[in-house]
Amino acid sequence: MDVRAILLLGPSADPTAPPAPEGVPLALLDVLGRPLLTRVADQLKAFGVSQLAAVADVGPSATPFVPPALRQNLTWLPAPGAALWRTAQELFSKFAHNGADLVLALRLSAYYELDYERLIQFHLDRNARVTAATDGAGAILGAFVISASRRNDAAFLLRHSLLKSRTPLVLYPFSGYSRRLTALADLRQLAVDAFCGRSQITPQGEAIKPGVWVAPGARIHRGARVLSPAFIGRYARVRAGALITRCAALEHHTEVGRGTVVEDATVLPYTKLGNALDVAHAVVGFGKVASLRRGVEVEISDSKLVGSVLSAPLRAWQQMLSLLAYLPLEFARGLLGRSAPSETPSFPLAVSSPARALSATDSLPAATDRAVSNFR
Amino acid sequence: MESSRPVVIKHTPERLDFRQARNFWREIQPLITSDRPQLVFDMSSVKHLDMAGVDMLLQCITEVMKRDGDLKLAAVSPEAWVILEITHTDRFFEIYETPSDAMRSFSRFLPEAMRRQPFNTPPADSRPEDKSGVAA
Repeated sequence: MDVRAILLLGPSADPTAPPAPEGVPLALLDVLGRPLLTRVADQLKAFGVSQLAAVADVGPSATPFVPPALRQNLTWLPAPGAALWRTAQELFSKFAHNGADLVLALRLSAYYELDYERLIQFHLDRNARVTAATDGAGAILGAFVISASRRNDAAFLLRHSLLKSRTPLVLYPFSGYSRRLTALADLRQLAVDAFCGRSQITPQGEAIKPGVWVAPGARIHRGARVLSPAFIGRYARVRAGALITRCAALEHHTEVGRGTVVEDATVLPYTKLGNALDVAHAVVGFGKVASLRRGVEVEISDSKLVGSVLSAPLRAWQQMLSLLAYLPLEFARGLLGRSAPSETPSFPLAVSSPARALSATDSLPAATDRAVSNFR
Repeated sequence: MESSRPVVIKHTPERLDFRQARNFWREIQPLITSDRPQLVFDMSSVKHLDMAGVDMLLQCITEVMKRDGDLKLAAVSPEAWVILEITHTDRFFEIYETPSDAMRSFSRFLPEAMRRQPFNTPPADSRPEDKSGVAA
């Protein structure tokens, strides 16, 4: 049987949900080293889906978040705005025309660990046109199996953003792990569930000690402490004195400043945390802190607190430019007569050395005598 | 213990960035430099707080403490709370839910935070009286 899949990444089905950060759907963000989209694509490949396509309502800002390896495994179709559902309809028609028997339409506004074999068997047993998976509470998860011969049903369903069906849906009750992705806080919960073994998500890294996973390229200063369970992603950097603990997850290309504590928090890709901060019970990224304790998302424009790490080519360009600008800048400084800032005196040295008034040329008794004679 | 000195409640601006913090600092100079100042910052309207704002708050409490006064925060907005928490600044201030709570706290001997008993120790009122007559 030829089964193909369409993965849909768009705005949340819940109209009250906050918009995706910087236009990047949550399914494209890493959870313990891999984006959810990649994890779902791998599950589908393992099941035996012959062709995969992802239709995404994303802008150019989402490009760095799409792994190159992912593009090799599936057809990536950016379709901003209303084009999302139109593209999905066209894709369905194409799959049906090319000989697919069944098409899976998966809206990734939730993460679910469906057993696709059972779902499809359920669909076939009931001779259904469209089957929808539901969670324990009976709410539709966003996973649909559509018979490829039912093009009108599929067109109606996709035209209505998978919210309305032309014929009554056959509901497949799913009792496994599922979590809706509406806000950044849901990513945190996914990570915690993975650390606690509640889901099949596994950290993508080497376990350097029980409960601590470190991905290749990560740099941890020997003065930093990483307490299990914790995850340090690819090319992440943990500076001296930092503490990473209690299900903390640092995704790829993150940087944690000196003395900063990351506790029960997720740091999203390309995020830089400043020095001596206390980031607890939060998701940090895209210049925002989503506090789980206070249930609020705060935008932070101060790069001393939360900044962004440039991607490798940009970093290389920046370093090259600063190197080229070094000599001209020094020359200009010399011309303008600006000297380099004086060295900050060290505190122990300042304490041990005598004060200027008591220096060798002007000892205390001599200074006192002179003061007394002046007074007379 | 009653205090006869006035308690001044000051509303902080919506943004406490470098420029606004500097303006606010100038504005409160007369209050801070008075003798034993008692100040409450109503931070309910703060939507944006950055390091300059945090620095200004710390500078305020330092100056107030130098003059044997006190500065308390009240009605801190969630946005400001998050910044105060991640910068560890919340521990330097007594923080109250409302400005009136903060104002009342000046007329009490102990701040509310110090009245709380750690863990499961019974509150001071319910403890049996010490009959030994020996002062601690």
